[in-house]
Amino acid sequence: MSASHAATVSHAPAEQPRLVNPIVPLGVGAAGILLTLVGAFMASSPEATTRVGYSWLIGMTFWTGLSIGILLLVQIHHIFDAGWSTIIRRTHEHWLAVFFPLALLFAPLVVLVWMHPGFIWKWTDIAQVGGDILYTKKSGFLSRGAFTGFTIAFFGVWIWLSYRLRKASFAQDVDGSADHTRANRVTAAYGIPATALSLTFAAFYWLMSLEYHWFSTMYGVWFFASCIRGALALTTLLCIYLVSRGILAGIFRKAHLLNLGNLMLAFTVFWAYITFSQYFLIWNANIPEETFWYNIRETGNWWNVGLILIFGHFLLPFLFFLQHPLKKKNGSMIFICTWILAIILLDFFYNILPAIKVDGAHGDPVNFHVTPWDVTALVGIGGVCFWAFFNSYAKQRCIPVRDPRIVESLHLHE
Amino acid sequence: MSQAHSQSSGAPILHGAGVLREVEPAVLPRPKLVENDRSFAWITDKVMGIIEGPTPRWWWWSMAVAVFVASFTVMGLAYLVSTGTGTWGLANPVNWGWAIVNFVFWIGIGHAGTLISAILCLLRQKWRTSVNRAAEAMTIFAVVCAGLFPVFHTGRVWFALYPGFLFPFPNSNGIWPNFHSPLEWDVFAISTYGTVSALFWYVGLLPDLATARDRFFVAGRMMRAKIYGFFAMGWRGSNRHWSNYEMAYLLLAGLSTPLVLSVHTIVSFDFAVSLVPGWHTTIFPPYFVAGAIFSGFGMVLTLMLPLRSIYRMNDLITQYHIDCMCKITLATGTMVGYAYAMEFFIAWYSANPFEGFAFINRAFGHYAWAYWTMISCNVITPQLFWFRKVRENTALVWVLSIFVNVGMWFERFVITVTSLARDFLPSSWGYYSPTVVDIFTYFGTFGVFSVLFLLFVRFVPLMAVAEIKAVTPQADAHAGHGHGEAHH
Repeated sequence: MSASHAATVSHAPAEQPRLVNPIVPLGVGAAGILLTLVGAFMASSPEATTRVGYSWLIGMTFWTGLSIGILLLVQIHHIFDAGWSTIIRRTHEHWLAVFFPLALLFAPLVVLVWMHPGFIWKWTDIAQVGGDILYTKKSGFLSRGAFTGFTIAFFGVWIWLSYRLRKASFAQDVDGSADHTRANRVTAAYGIPATALSLTFAAFYWLMSLEYHWFSTMYGVWFFASCIRGALALTTLLCIYLVSRGILAGIFRKAHLLNLGNLMLAFTVFWAYITFSQYFLIWNANIPEETFWYNIRETGNWWNVGLILIFGHFLLPFLFFLQHPLKKKNGSMIFICTWILAIILLDFFYNILPAIKVDGAHGDPVNFHVTPWDVTALVGIGGVCFWAFFNSYAKQRCIPVRDPRIVESLHLHE
Repeated sequence: MSQAHSQSSGAPILHGAGVLREVEPAVLPRPKLVENDRSFAWITDKVMGIIEGPTPRWWWWSMAVAVFVASFTVMGLAYLVSTGTGTWGLANPVNWGWAIVNFVFWIGIGHAGTLISAILCLLRQKWRTSVNRAAEAMTIFAVVCAGLFPVFHTGRVWFALYPGFLFPFPNSNGIWPNFHSPLEWDVFAISTYGTVSALFWYVGLLPDLATARDRFFVAGRMMRAKIYGFFAMGWRGSNRHWSNYEMAYLLLAGLSTPLVLSVHTIVSFDFAVSLVPGWHTTIFPPYFVAGAIFSGFGMVLTLMLPLRSIYRMNDLITQYHIDCMCKITLATGTMVGYAYAMEFFIAWYSANPFEGFAFINRAFGHYAWAYWTMISCNVITPQLFWFRKVRENTALVWVLSIFVNVGMWFERFVITVTSLARDFLPSSWGYYSPTVVDIFTYFGTFGVFSVLFLLFVRFVPLMAVAEIKAVTPQADAHAGHGHGEAHH
C-alpha cells in the first residue's frame, strides 16, 4: 500500500528537508529570559519591577493559551474521529511538548505570590485586602495555597494529557496498532472536560482575579475562544513554515490551509459572539460592581485599544476569512495569522494591564504601553516553547504514518 | 542541519516527502452509514414506501390521540381569549410563568434540526443524512408550538397579529413596538429563523419530492403525481439543477448556522438583560444554545427511535447514528452542567448576597424538587451515555431521551420561576402554581406537534433519499482506495 500510495500523493521538491536546530530557539529564549531578569533587577522603582512581572504574566498567558488551544484541537480531532486534520495533528503533538517547560517558567509567578504578596495579584497581600468584605467573602478560593495548588493541578492536567496523547501517537508509528487511536479517543473523552475546567479556573485565577472584585461567568468561555483562535493561527503559520523548509512539502496542501481558514472564520465569529455577549449584558444591566471593569478600560488610551479590538480582532479577520481565494494563499494567510496572534496578545494586554493603577491602589489604570520587557518576556517564553517543539520534531516523524485516517488526510481535496 | 534520514541506513525517515513511503495506515474502518450494502433501489423503495403504501392502522390511532391531545390547547387558548390572561397562574411576583417556560422549551427543541441540517453539513458530518429531514421537520413544528405562547400571552391575540404591534409598521397613532425589549428582538429572531428553517427544509426536499412524483406517475396515481409534482417545482435532476441545489443548500446552511445561534442567544437575553438575580449572568447566551441543542437531540431520539423500529429502518438509522446522537447529547448535557456550575460558583464568588441567595434558594428552597429534577435529568442522566452498553440498548436510550426532554423543561421552569418567586423583597415573595388553563394549553401542544409530525411522516419522504445514497459505499468513487464510508 505504502509505496504505491506515496507515488500518488507526493509532489515534493527533491531538496532535503531542513529543520531548525533546537538550540537556536533555546538560545533566543534564554536571552529573552535573561534580559527580562535584568529588567526586573535593574528596575528603577518597585512599580517598574511590578511592571516586569506583568510582562511575564502576559507572556505566560499568551504562550500557555496557545498551547491549551492546541491541546484542545488534538483532543477534538480524536473525539470527532476526524480524518482531514491527521497530518496537522502530528505538528500539534510536537507542540504539546511545551507544557513542562511552561510549568517551570510559570513557577516564578507562584514563588512571587509567597515571597512578595500583592506583587501582581493584589489579593495575595492579605494585610492589604483582609479588611475588604468583597475579599473575605471569596477568600476560600482566593488564597495563596489554593492558587498554588490549583496552578500545579492545571499544569499537571495539561502535562498528563499531552504525555498520553503524544505517547500513543508516537507508539503507533512503530507498531501500527489501531489500539493507540482508540486509547487517544478515551483520553480525549475525559481530557476535554478536564481541559475545559482547568482553563476556566486558570483564567479565573490568573486573569480575572487581577481585579478580584470583578466577576463574569463568561470569562472561561472567552479564554477558551482566545486559546482556540490563537492555536489555529499558530498552527497555520507553523505548517506554512514547515512546508517552506521541505518538511511538510507535498503533504500539507491548499485544502488543509482552506480548512484551517474556515475554522478560523468560525472561531472569529465565536470569539466576537462571546466577547460581545459579555460586554452587552454587563453594559445593559449597568450594575456598578460589573461595569467598573469596562469603565476603567474606557479611560486613557484603553478606549482606543478597545476600538482596535473590535475592528482588528473581529471585523478584519471576519471579512478576510469570508474570501475564499485568500484562504488558499500562503502570503495572505501568513499576514492574517500573524495579525490574529498580535491582536490576541493585545487582548491579553487589555485584560491584564489595567490592573496596574496609576496611584497603585484604586484609581485609573496606567495607560496602554509596551515595554522592552514585554518583548523580552514574550521572546524568552516563546523561544523555550519553540525549543521544545523543534526538539520533539527532530526525534519523531512529521506525520503519523500509521494513523488509520492518514490516507484521508493526504488525499484531502477541496 | 538536515533531520531527514536515509532509508538505506535503516533509520526511519522523519520528515519531508520521503516520509510518505512509510505511510501504512492501521486498520480501523469507519462505521458504515448504510448497513448490509443496501442498493440505491432498496433505499428509494424503503423511504418512498412509507408515503406510497396504505396508511397503517397505528398511524390512525396515533393521529386520533394526537388530535385529542391537541384539543386541550384549543380549549386552553379559547378559554384564555374569551376570559383574559387572568386565567393563567401569573400573579405577583411571578409575572412570567408557564407561557415563557413552554415557549423556550419548544424553541430549544427546534435547534437540533438546524444543528443537524446546517452545522453538521458545514462540518461535513455525513451521518446526518438519515436523520436531518425528520429533525428539520421537528424544528419547524417546534417553532409553531413555541410561537403560540408569545402570541397568545398578549390576551387580545388579534392585536398581536395587527401590523404595528409586534411587527413594526408605520401607523397614524405613532405606536411602535418597544425596540429596547428583547421580547421584540425575539419577534425578529424567531420569524427569521422559522422562515429560513422552512426554506432550508423545503429546498432539501425538492429531489425527493420529484422522486415521489415520478413514482406516483409510473404507478398511475396521477392526482398524487400532480400534487408532488407541483411542490417539486419542475425538478428533473439535471446537472444544472444539482449544481444550483448544492450551492443553495450550502448557502442556506451558512445562513442557518448563525441564525440558530442568534435565536437562542436572544431568548437568553429575555432573561439576562434584566437585573434579576439568577437571570443576569454573562454565560447565558452560549449556555442557552448548548441547552437548546441538548434538548433538541433528546427530542430527535424520542421521535426517531420509534420510527426506526416501526418502519424497520435499522439499516438506515444504524447503531452508529444512535451512538453519534447519544454522544452529542452527552457533550451538550455536560456543557449545560458546566454552565450550572459556573453560575453557582460565580454567584458565590461575586459575594453578591442576592445572587448567592438565588442559587441557594434554587437548590434548597421551595422549588428544590424542580431544581434537582433538572440536575438529575440534564447533568446526571446523559452521563450514562458514556457507556457503550447503554447506547446500544435502544429502549433505554429512548427512555433517557425522555428524561432529557423533561429535564430541559424543568430548566426553563427553574430559571423563570425561582428567581421571580423569591425576588429582592421578602414581603412580596410568593409561590407560583399553574392553573388548569396553563396545563391544558401546554399539554395540548404535544398534540399539535404530534399531529404535524404524523402528517409529515405520512406525506413527506421521511429521509433525504438522495443524500443517503451519496454516503453509501457504491457512491464513493474512491471506495476501493482506502477511503472509509463515513468521511469526517
